[in-house]
Amino acid sequence: MSKKTGTQPALHKVIMVGSGGVGKSALTLQFMYDEFIEDYEPTKADSYRKKVVLDGEEVQIDILDTAGQEDYAAIRDNYFRSGEGFLCVFSITEEESFQATQEFREQILRVKNGDNIPFLLVGNKGDLYDKRKISIAEAQARAQQWNVHYVETSAKTRENVDKVFYDLMREIRSRKIDDTKVSNGHGKEKSKIKRLKCCIL
Amino acid sequence: MATIRHSLQTEIFHPIDERLMTFVHVYELYKKKKTSNFLCLTVTKEAPIVFYIHQEEKGFDLHFDKVYKWIAVNLQERQTFLVILWKQCMNIMTGNKPEFRNLPKEWLMSYSNNVPISLKSENDVNNVGDNVVIVEPEEYQALSEKEETDLEKMMLDLGFISNNAEKFIEKLTNQLSILDGENLQSVLSSEQKVVELINQLNLAINEVANLEFQLDSYDEILGHVRTTIEKMEQKNVLIQIVNKNYDKLLLQLEKVVHQLELSPKYQTALTDADLTNPTGLKDAIAAAKELQAVMNAEIHPALVQLTAVQEQKKKFDKWKSKFSHILSRHLNNLFIHIGNDTSKLKLSGSDLILPVRSQFHKELSGYTPLMHWCKLMERKAYTALKKVYTSSLGKLYERDIKQFMEEAKYRIVARIEREQWSQDIDVDERTRFDQILEIVLSQLEPVCLSEQNFCISFFQLDVFSSSTKNTQTTLDGFGDENLHVPQKTIDKKVNEEVRRMMSEIFGCIELELLNFITYYEKLDSVYCMSALIHLSEHVMSAQDTDSFLSITFGSVLVHVKRSYDKYMQTQEKSIIESRIPRKSKCGILPFVSNFEEFANTAENIFKNTERKTDLDKWYVRLMSTIFETIQNIAAEHPKTPPEVIKMENFHHLYALLSQLKISVLDGHRKEVKQKYNEALNAYVTRYFGRPLEKLNLFFEGVQGKVAQGVKESEISYQMAFSKQELRRVIREYPAREVKKGLDHLYKKVDKHLCEEENLLQVVWRAMQEEFIQQYKSIEDLIQRCYPGSMICLEFSIEDILQFFSEIARSH
Ligand SMILES: Nc1nc2c(ncn2[C@@H]2O[C@H](COP(=O)(O)OP(=O)(O)OP(=O)(O)O)[C@@H](O)[C@H]2O)c(=O)[nH]1
Ligand SMILES: [Mg+2]
Repeated sequence: MSKKTGTQPALHKVIMVGSGGVGKSALTLQFMYDEFIEDYEPTKADSYRKKVVLDGEEVQIDILDTAGQEDYAAIRDNYFRSGEGFLCVFSITEEESFQATQEFREQILRVKNGDNIPFLLVGNKGDLYDKRKISIAEAQARAQQWNVHYVETSAKTRENVDKVFYDLMREIRSRKIDDTKVSNGHGKEKSKIKRLKCCIL
Repeated sequence: MATIRHSLQTEIFHPIDERLMTFVHVYELYKKKKTSNFLCLTVTKEAPIVFYIHQEEKGFDLHFDKVYKWIAVNLQERQTFLVILWKQCMNIMTGNKPEFRNLPKEWLMSYSNNVPISLKSENDVNNVGDNVVIVEPEEYQALSEKEETDLEKMMLDLGFISNNAEKFIEKLTNQLSILDGENLQSVLSSEQKVVELINQLNLAINEVANLEFQLDSYDEILGHVRTTIEKMEQKNVLIQIVNKNYDKLLLQLEKVVHQLELSPKYQTALTDADLTNPTGLKDAIAAAKELQAVMNAEIHPALVQLTAVQEQKKKFDKWKSKFSHILSRHLNNLFIHIGNDTSKLKLSGSDLILPVRSQFHKELSGYTPLMHWCKLMERKAYTALKKVYTSSLGKLYERDIKQFMEEAKYRIVARIEREQWSQDIDVDERTRFDQILEIVLSQLEPVCLSEQNFCISFFQLDVFSSSTKNTQTTLDGFGDENLHVPQKTIDKKVNEEVRRMMSEIFGCIELELLNFITYYEKLDSVYCMSALIHLSEHVMSAQDTDSFLSITFGSVLVHVKRSYDKYMQTQEKSIIESRIPRKSKCGILPFVSNFEEFANTAENIFKNTERKTDLDKWYVRLMSTIFETIQNIAAEHPKTPPEVIKMENFHHLYALLSQLKISVLDGHRKEVKQKYNEALNAYVTRYFGRPLEKLNLFFEGVQGKVAQGVKESEISYQMAFSKQELRRVIREYPAREVKKGLDHLYKKVDKHLCEEENLLQVVWRAMQEEFIQQYKSIEDLIQRCYPGSMICLEFSIEDILQFFSEIARSH
C-alpha cells in the first residue's frame, strides 16, 4: 500500500448553500454514497471529494456542504470565495427556505464579484409533492430573473440528484474555458494556451 | 307297590345284574318341575357285592360327598328305604362307616336289636310309626323270570292253586326227597366216569406236550432263516451304496473331464494369438474367456489334487502364460507408443482449451476384456502393464499440461503487451489472470475425469481383490476372499487405488499449477487473492471431494491460502513500517490513500464468495493497524501538527469507508468519524489561542481566581488583574494587530493543511466560530468583573466580521 498515482484530473469546487434542513447534506450523501439518512443532524461544514466521469472526461468534484444555520453571514464569505459553483437549495415544502435563497444569491454575487457564476436553483424534497408550498412556476420565475436553471430534486428518491451536480460541473467547466479565453486575450501564458488550442482543434 | 317293585326289578335292574333291595318314591327339592323319581337301593348279584343308590325319580336328603335333597312321597317308604340303607351300610362296610343323621333311633331299634347303633337322636319331627314290615335282605331272594315261569308252570302242571298251599308244599317236599334220592344215585354212578375223564385228560396233556416240542423245533429252524435273511439285506444295501458311489464317481469324472476340456481351436487362438487385427483380437478374447472358464471349473478342491487334473492345469498354465506373454508385449508396446506421441496440442483457437485425449482411450478400450482377464489370470503381468501405462501416460499428460499452462501464461502476457498504453494495466491483467485461471481449473477437470473413468474401467479398479495370488482361479485353489471384508473398507481401498493411479499419471498438475500461480504471485501478490477464490470454488463445488483432482486442488489451495495470509501480513507490515513523510505538509499518508485501491480490488475479487470471511478478518486487522499507525506518525512528524495529520487522515478514511460500505468495518467507520471530529476540535482550540494570547492568559487568570472563590466584582482589586493591567493588555490588541493575527493564523492553517483533503474551509469556519466565541466570552467577563469601568476591547464584533470578509476576499 505505498504506490502513488500520477497526474491529477481537473477539479471542480461546488458549494452547497441554503437554509437549515432543506436537504443539502441529504443531496450530497446521496450523490456521494448512494445513501439517504432520515435523521436530521445539522451540519457545520463538511468537505467531500469524488472522482467522476464528466462527458467522458475524468474529473474530480469537491463538495463543501455548509451550515444552513449560521449566526453571522460573514463567516460564509470565505467559502463562497473558494467555491466555483453553487447549488442553492430550498425545500419546496417550506416558504421561508425559498425566500432565503435571495439572500444567499446576493451574498455570493457580492463575494464573487460578478453575476456570471455557475449556479443552480434547486427545489429539493420533490417527493413530498402533497406538501408543496412553492409552485414550479414561482421557482422558475425566480431562476429566470437570475438567469439560472431551476431543477427539482429528491434526495430521498435520488430524482435529479446526479443531474444537479453534473449540470453544475458542466457550467463550471465552460466557465473555466471562458476564463482561459479571457486570459488568452490578456496575453498571459502564451505557450500553454497554444497547446490548449491544438487540443481543441 | 309290589307292581312297581316288580317292574323296577325286571325292567331296570335285572338287565344290569343287580337286585333291587328297596326303593322310595321321591321328588327333587330344588327342581321346579316336580317330576317324581324312584330312589332305589340295589345290590349286585355276584360278589363283590356293591350297593348302588339309583335315583329313579322321587327323593329326600342324603349326604354323600355331595348333598342330594329329595322329598319322599310316602313316609313309610322313606323309612323303609333309610333303614335298609343303614343296615346295609352297617353290615357290609368296614372301616369308615357313613354317618346317618337325624335318623330316629326307634326305627333302627325295631329292626335290628343286635346291631350297635351310633346314630344321633335329635328331635325328630318326622317321626312315624314302627309297624312296617321290612324284608331282611338275606331272606329275600327275588325270583328270576325263568324261575317264576317254571314255578308257575309247575304249579299249573300240578293243578294247584294258591289257596291249596299246604298240599302244594307237601307235594313239593315229596318230589324233593325223590329228587334227592335220584341225585345221590347219579352222584355215585358218575364216579367211574370221572376217573375215565381224568385218564382222558392225562392223555390229552401228553399230546399237548408233544405238540409243544414239535413247535419249538420249528421255531428254532425259522430263527436261523431270519438271521440269514437279515444278513442278505445288509449286503444288498452295501451293494446299492457302492453302485451309487460308482455313479457319482462317474459323474464327477465326466464333469472333470468335460469341464477341463479346452477345444484345440481355443488352444491355438491363445498360443498363436494375433492381437493386431480385429478378428485376431476377437478370437483371443473368446479363447481367453474360455480358458478362464475352464480354469475356474466347479471342481471340488480335493479333486484338484488329482494328477490328471494337475496335468491338465499345467497345460492350461502353459497356454495362459504363453498368451499373457503375447498380450503383455502387445499392450506394452501400445502404451509406450502412446507415451511417445509428441504431437503438439492445438491450442491456437480463440478459446483456451485443454483437449481430452479420447482417441487412444477408444483404441485401448478394445483390450478391456483382456486387461480384466489379465488382472485375474496373470496378476504380475497386469501390475507391470499398469505401471507402464501410468508412466507413459504421465509423460504424455505432463507434456500436454505444460504446453497448456505455457499457452495460458502467454495469453495473459500477450494482451498485456497489446494494451500497454491503457491506463489500467493492473486491473486488466488481473481480470485476465482471473479468467484464465478459471479456464485452466475447469479445463483440467474433464481431462482428469475422463482419464480417471477410463482407468477405472480399463484396469477394473472398482473391483477390489484382497488376494495377492498371481492367478485367481479355482484350479489355483482360489476362493472368494473378499467375503469378510466390509463394503466400506472395499470402497475405501478402491478409492485409494484410483487416487494413487491418478496422482501418478497427473503428478505434474499440482506442480504446474503451483508454478503458474507462484509466477503471478511474484509479479504481484494481489494474484493470490484471485487464486484463493477460484481454487476454493473448485474445491468446494467438487462433487467427489475424495477425488484426486479435489485433493490436488486442495493442496494447491493450502499453498495459496498461505500466500494470501502472507500477502496480508506484508500489507500490514508495510503499514506499520511506513516511513514518516519528510514533506513539511504531511497530508494523506500513502497507506491510507492506497487502502482504497486495495479494498476495491479485494472487494471485487471476494464479493459474493464463500471466502468473504477470510477477507473480513483481515480488513478488521488492517484497519486497526491503520488507526494505530496514523496516531504513531502523527505523534512523530517533525513539521505538521499531530492534530492535522489525524484530522486529515481520519477524514479521508471516513470518506473511504462511507464509499466502500464494507459491513464488517461499519463500527470502524463510526469510530473514524469520531476521531476526525476530535482531531478537528483539538486543532481549532489548540491553534486558536494565538491571535489573542495575552488576553486569553489574562482571563484564564481571572477565571482561576473566580474558581478559587474571589468574587467577580472584586477581581479588579487583585494586583495582577487590576483595571490598569486589563487596559494594558487590551492596548496590545488594537484592531490592526488583531487583523494581522488573523491573517497570520489563516496563512498558518493554509500551510498546515493539504490541498488534497480540502479541509481549509471546514477548519477556517470552525476557527471563525471559535474566535467569535472567545471574543464574546472576554466581553462577557469584562462586563461581569469590571462593571461600570467602561473598559472594552479595541475592536468590535463587526470589526471581526469585516476582517473575515477581507481575509476571504484576499485569497
Ligand atoms: N422526504 C424528503 N426528506 C428529505 C429530503 N432531503 C432531506 N430530507 C430530510 O430533511 C431533513 C434535513 O435534511 P439535511 O440534508 O440534513 O438538511 P441540511 O440542508 O443539510 O440542513 P443543515 O445541515 O442544517 O443546513 C432530514 O431529516 C432529511 O432526511 C428529500 O428529498 N425528501
Ligand atoms: Mg446539512
